[in-house]
Amino acid sequence: MKFLKQVGDYAKDSFQAAKFIGQGLAVTFDHMGRRPVTVQYPYEKLIPSERYRGRIHFEFDKCISCEVCVRVCPINLPVVDWEFNKEQKKKKLNHYSIDFGVCIFCGNCVEYCPTNCLSMTEEYELSAYDRHELNYDSVALGRLPEKVTLDPMVQPIRELAYLPKGVTEPHDLPKGSQRAGRHPEDILEELEQEKAKRQKASADSENN
Amino acid sequence: MESGIDLQGSVIEILGGFGIPAGLAKVIWMPVPMLLMLVAATVGVLVSVWLERKISAAAQQRVGPEFAGPLGTLQPVADGLKLLFKEDIIPTRADPWLFTLGPAIVVIPVFLSYLIVPFGQNLVITDLSIGAFLWIALSSITPIGLLMSGYSSNNKYALIGGLRAAAQSISYEIPLALSVLAIVLMSNSLSTIDIVNQQADYGILSWNLWRQPVGFVIFWVAALAETERLPFDLPEAEEELVAGYQTEYTGMKFALFYLGSYVNLVLSALFVSIFYLGGWTLPIPVETLTQWLGVNEFSPAVQVITGSLGITMVLLKTYLFVFLAILLRWTTPRVRIDQLLDLGWKFLLPVSLANLLITAALKLAFPVAFGG
Repeated sequence: MKFLKQVGDYAKDSFQAAKFIGQGLAVTFDHMGRRPVTVQYPYEKLIPSERYRGRIHFEFDKCISCEVCVRVCPINLPVVDWEFNKEQKKKKLNHYSIDFGVCIFCGNCVEYCPTNCLSMTEEYELSAYDRHELNYDSVALGRLPEKVTLDPMVQPIRELAYLPKGVTEPHDLPKGSQRAGRHPEDILEELEQEKAKRQKASADSENN
Repeated sequence: MESGIDLQGSVIEILGGFGIPAGLAKVIWMPVPMLLMLVAATVGVLVSVWLERKISAAAQQRVGPEFAGPLGTLQPVADGLKLLFKEDIIPTRADPWLFTLGPAIVVIPVFLSYLIVPFGQNLVITDLSIGAFLWIALSSITPIGLLMSGYSSNNKYALIGGLRAAAQSISYEIPLALSVLAIVLMSNSLSTIDIVNQQADYGILSWNLWRQPVGFVIFWVAALAETERLPFDLPEAEEELVAGYQTEYTGMKFALFYLGSYVNLVLSALFVSIFYLGGWTLPIPVETLTQWLGVNEFSPAVQVITGSLGITMVLLKTYLFVFLAILLRWTTPRVRIDQLLDLGWKFLLPVSLANLLITAALKLAFPVAFGG
């Protein structure tokens, strides 16, 4: 009887295994009918999110060579080359550079820069043949990246945060469709209208 | 009843009209179907490679190849061309003869097996009376080639991969042969033509699938293992071995392995459709259809239509199984080598033996339904 039980259990296991494979097949079969979520990269690009931390932008003229960026950087990465101008009694910046082969894009330097001469751009295509090419000097840091939405060669694709509620597929959205939630300016307008209404009501009650 | 188109007969007749003797006409005719079969097998491979890439892309919500030709249909051709122009490397201190012969020994039997694949009553290269046996015999040559190429590569990964491939092929050869034997027992013939004809009487109802459900599943599982498709692609397991017995192969020799595996997949699917799904027969028998439509079954036009319908049926059934294999590839995880051998020896072998014995018993008990 023990043998029969073993045989029965084995058969049950086999049937269960077959059932699970069938369920798995149903899942993959279901996936076949779905639209690809591919972004066809060189032709289509995702619009980076608002606070995307891409390559750092640097404005030479604003920099006061205080070296706060170097101090807040986890690895003291920015290289600030300055000399003291004795006549003006001011630091004079000669050269500034950040090596993006080493940078982790934490944004601390941007956060702490007292004159806002550092900022984050949405540029993320930093590939180079030689990693020394990633050491950006003050001129390279001063270049602004081209916006994805303004590039005529590229179809900008909105990422998930920019899509209306319940939509996950940016490709065939109708024109003018907005992201989930309301724009801040709409909320502000509404608030102001409410405020005006309240003021009017109070003015009316005072009159009566 | 001798139905279907006899192309060989008519070509010999036409050539005879030009004053060419029958023997010579036959010699002229002979290479045509062979070449046609070679081309058909290769095109079948290109189609299944394209299908594999497109279906796997769809299953993963990707796009898949789309730039080479319309919908990426030329992608397999591009792949082949790329492999053709790659440098052919033989590793140092490898055995050059075995290394070169290996892929050929893997591929040639697979192509030879197309000898007995029927696409219609007379659309077969040779109607051998030992057809099914020939296929079993040919497919057991493959492990030798795998072992040879693994052994001669002068590489430990290749050696282990070759050994694993041979072990797998041999373990799954037996349940495969046993389930074919059950079919043969019911059809009273080893000829693929007879096996199909025996399933032709009542359309879809008389297909072997209903009488051999267990054998069908075993055959398909064993065929997947034979062709090294995904739940059983242990010989080339990328994570454990680098790429199995083909680690050291480049260029055309690698392409031969690749081609061989896909030809083998299409071939196995063809055999599933021939052994279990009634080959070129329609789900509703042609005779019934012609009766309904009120046309003469033997008129030339109807013959051509039914002939091409038959080819379509074979391809449809075959590619259904190719599709299933691709879907399985993206569904099931790879088994471990001990699980693989357990499944082969402890499950499929006894079950297929029992299936064979039960088929024999049923054949004795109900000779009407089981081909007594």
